[in-house]
Amino acid sequence: MTVQPAVVSYQGHYAGSVSRFTAYAIDLVVSSAVFSLALAAISYGVHIVTGHNVNWNRSNIVVAVLFVLWQFVYFGYSWAVSGRTFGMAALGIRVVGTDGSVLEPRRGVVRALVFPLSFLLFGLGFLGILVQREHRALHDLIAGSAVIYSWDARAARLRFLARQADLAPPP
Amino acid sequence: MVNPRDRLRPAGRRNPVEAIAQQVTERVVDLLVSALDVNELAARIDLNALLDRVDLNTVLKQVDLNTLLDQVDVNAVLARVDLKPLLDRVDVNDLVSQIDMDALVERTDLGAVIARSSGGMGTEALDAVRSQAVGLDQFVDRWVQRLLRRKRPTPPAPSALLPAQAEP
Repeated sequence: MTVQPAVVSYQGHYAGSVSRFTAYAIDLVVSSAVFSLALAAISYGVHIVTGHNVNWNRSNIVVAVLFVLWQFVYFGYSWAVSGRTFGMAALGIRVVGTDGSVLEPRRGVVRALVFPLSFLLFGLGFLGILVQREHRALHDLIAGSAVIYSWDARAARLRFLARQADLAPPP
Repeated sequence: MVNPRDRLRPAGRRNPVEAIAQQVTERVVDLLVSALDVNELAARIDLNALLDRVDLNTVLKQVDLNTLLDQVDVNAVLARVDLKPLLDRVDVNDLVSQIDMDALVERTDLGAVIARSSGGMGTEALDAVRSQAVGLDQFVDRWVQRLLRRKRPTPPAPSALLPAQAEP
């Protein structure tokens, strides 16, 4: 597993589609897992207190509303506070203002509110990530945000070289 | 003529006339020196003409630099040097940017130090995943640019994160 020298030069650049969709997939898995765990914890609590079993049905409207609310909290809070979700942190990307400044909390909340709009019309809003000059999706254009690479690629490259040097046999 | 050694002779053995002459001479010399304007005298001297007549090479050949340097207390000289203004003039960022960190890490024990002190398997895997994702991003982006037949280059980063443009 290598860290190519070229990646160092992309620090601060607009993040591409693969990084962003992978980060979103991780977020979807993590947020769903946390939501399921929370429902399981509530069921267990109710069972302990009342003795009744609560079975959450996925098609239940209450569960669906709770899930949407949880998604909004998960993404909105993450973007407003740190500009990145768990998945984005894993992929080393971050949401910033259009000029590259730190994202204002207000913009983070707006981004989470308009995020579902990008799913409309078969996800056409996400097409901007591929074809827009600054890789901005519909929710980015509305919220005045952009996504950039923010991981320390230089340090990663040095760590990679250090490992190589450490593994190399002594002369 | 007054013999300077006469001063050393006991006063009893000195000729009274000579003693008077001695005193008069000393007084005259004192008056002359005090009346003399040394600055005026120095101004009249043509130093350039004087220096033209000096063969500096010959003078320098006669100087024994080793003996001279042996007498110099380097520690005392360094103690008097104010290093702060000197360091202020050094552009450390420029200096560091000239260092080939890749070569430094590969050729020195620095690599082993970094490898032992930073990250484990998790960090290594994360670095690799991020690096691969960036590579795939660029691959997809190149194809999209080609399909859209874009001629103008797209901005690589937000304006605040672009390196400062050099002044013309």
